[in-house]
Amino acid sequence: MRIIALLKTISILINSRILILIGLLFFVCKTNCYANPIISGISSNEINIDTQFKGSRILLFGAKRDAGDIIIVVRGPKKSFLITKKEKIFGVWHNGERIRFEDSYSFYSLFSTSTNANTISDNLLYDFEIGKNFLKFNSFDKSSKKTKNDFKLQLIDQLEKKDLYLDKSYEINFLDETLFKVFLDFPKNIIRGTYLIEIYLIKDDNILSFQSIPIYVNQVGISAKISDFAKDQDFLYGLGAVILALLVGWIINYLFIKFIGK
Amino acid sequence: MQIYLPIAEMPVNIFLILFLGLATGFLAGMFGIGGGFLATPFLIFIGIPSSVAVATSTNQIISASISGLLVHLRKGAVDIRIGGLLIFGGFIGSLFGVIIFRMLENIGQIDISIALIYVIFLGAIGIAMASDSFKIILEKKYNISWNKKSKLLWLINKIEKLPCKSYFPKSEITISIFVPIFISIGIGILVSLIGIGGGFLMIPAMLYILKMPSSLVVGTSLFQIVFIASNATLLQAITNHNVDIILSSLMIFSSAIGAQFGTRVGYKMDADIMRSFLAILLILICTKMLFSLFSEPQDLYKVEVLK
Repeated sequence: MRIIALLKTISILINSRILILIGLLFFVCKTNCYANPIISGISSNEINIDTQFKGSRILLFGAKRDAGDIIIVVRGPKKSFLITKKEKIFGVWHNGERIRFEDSYSFYSLFSTSTNANTISDNLLYDFEIGKNFLKFNSFDKSSKKTKNDFKLQLIDQLEKKDLYLDKSYEINFLDETLFKVFLDFPKNIIRGTYLIEIYLIKDDNILSFQSIPIYVNQVGISAKISDFAKDQDFLYGLGAVILALLVGWIINYLFIKFIGK
Repeated sequence: MQIYLPIAEMPVNIFLILFLGLATGFLAGMFGIGGGFLATPFLIFIGIPSSVAVATSTNQIISASISGLLVHLRKGAVDIRIGGLLIFGGFIGSLFGVIIFRMLENIGQIDISIALIYVIFLGAIGIAMASDSFKIILEKKYNISWNKKSKLLWLINKIEKLPCKSYFPKSEITISIFVPIFISIGIGILVSLIGIGGGFLMIPAMLYILKMPSSLVVGTSLFQIVFIASNATLLQAITNHNVDIILSSLMIFSSAIGAQFGTRVGYKMDADIMRSFLAILLILICTKMLFSLFSEPQDLYKVEVLK
């Protein structure tokens, strides 16, 4: 456990979460003093968005062989966000201060068996970005720390309203003492990209086990073909859209004359 | 029934979109306006990203306009020569408009600029048109004559002094070719600023500045909108990749049908009464925009996802 703590301090210096994870995996493999205390799997590691897409639910199941709290985090692809505050001048509302957050998660959901605060230190949560209050929202704007924090809270709030940020503490179901299952919900407005499920087993402020499973969110069928075509063949796509509109307008006009009259 | 939109990356209710297309198409055919000023805010309201809403509306406008235009062409109610000049000016204007749009977007004031432009132009034109058409209606009904001193006299005097005068046989007017070009440059700038076809500005300009006969105004306006909207759709598809063809297909189909009905209703209606309807519509939208400028926004913070 000391090695993990050591790795943790090193990584704080370099400020890299990935390094800790690599180190942790290395540690688990190298020592091999016990079998992985958590094993888990998911019902599918692919979400296909087609024209009928209404959101998706993936079942995560696993077995816990050691004491400790389970925390499951799902992270969506990183995007930049621009948050604008409306301000009033002479009674007219207009766009005031703006802050841009670079590379923030477009989707984030958390499940846990504990309330976090009781057994896990803020440092650990912050290092691994566990819990919405511990996410890093980086901004190069010159605003004050307080303003940035206000804007950050607003961003999280709005993403929560769109079901893109979910906090579901206590929502891990145990079938018996070791077996657990969780339903991971992906709303209809998720964006494409690679999502990462991370499963942590934490005891006494130490990570006993870590597992990461990717989920690929793709567009398929006609939906995918359209969005690829729009990007790869933009001129033809635009021309097609114009011709389609002209053709439909013309055909409808023709049908009206024929069947309804002038 | 829901359908997923590949470019907007979200599902929408098919029937809601079909109905929206029908309504905008109806207005397009009846008044000779593209209906974008109605469709764009509505699409944004149901959660479509604003850039996709603007780009997709331009695509939809083409079909509503061509559908209405064909009816007017058949009745010979289109002045192609003036329409051609308007298209020329419109292309130049929209280029300038795109540049100004980028500038305003960079300083973050595009929203309020759009709202203010809407309020000022819609309000001014709506009120002018309303008072004018009510006067004419009253005149016809009760034989009251009004003092017909044009408030735009100084402008009309200036216009008459412009060179390159040309006779337009279809509309039976003689004006300098610069007048339609200047008007359409101005409107073209506004069109790319507020992301609409600009019909509601073009119609009054044709009536009051070019003094075209009202029977030709709607058809000629639709004629130039088809070209301006085609150009805008192509530009949007190439530069921003945000034309959603699933969304626009639904609207293309229903607005073409709506336009057919609109055109037919329009022909049955008295031109002056129709003009007063358009005036009332403009004033209503203007009032709504004015309220939204002064009322407290639902969310004090606006979140945009950057690509």
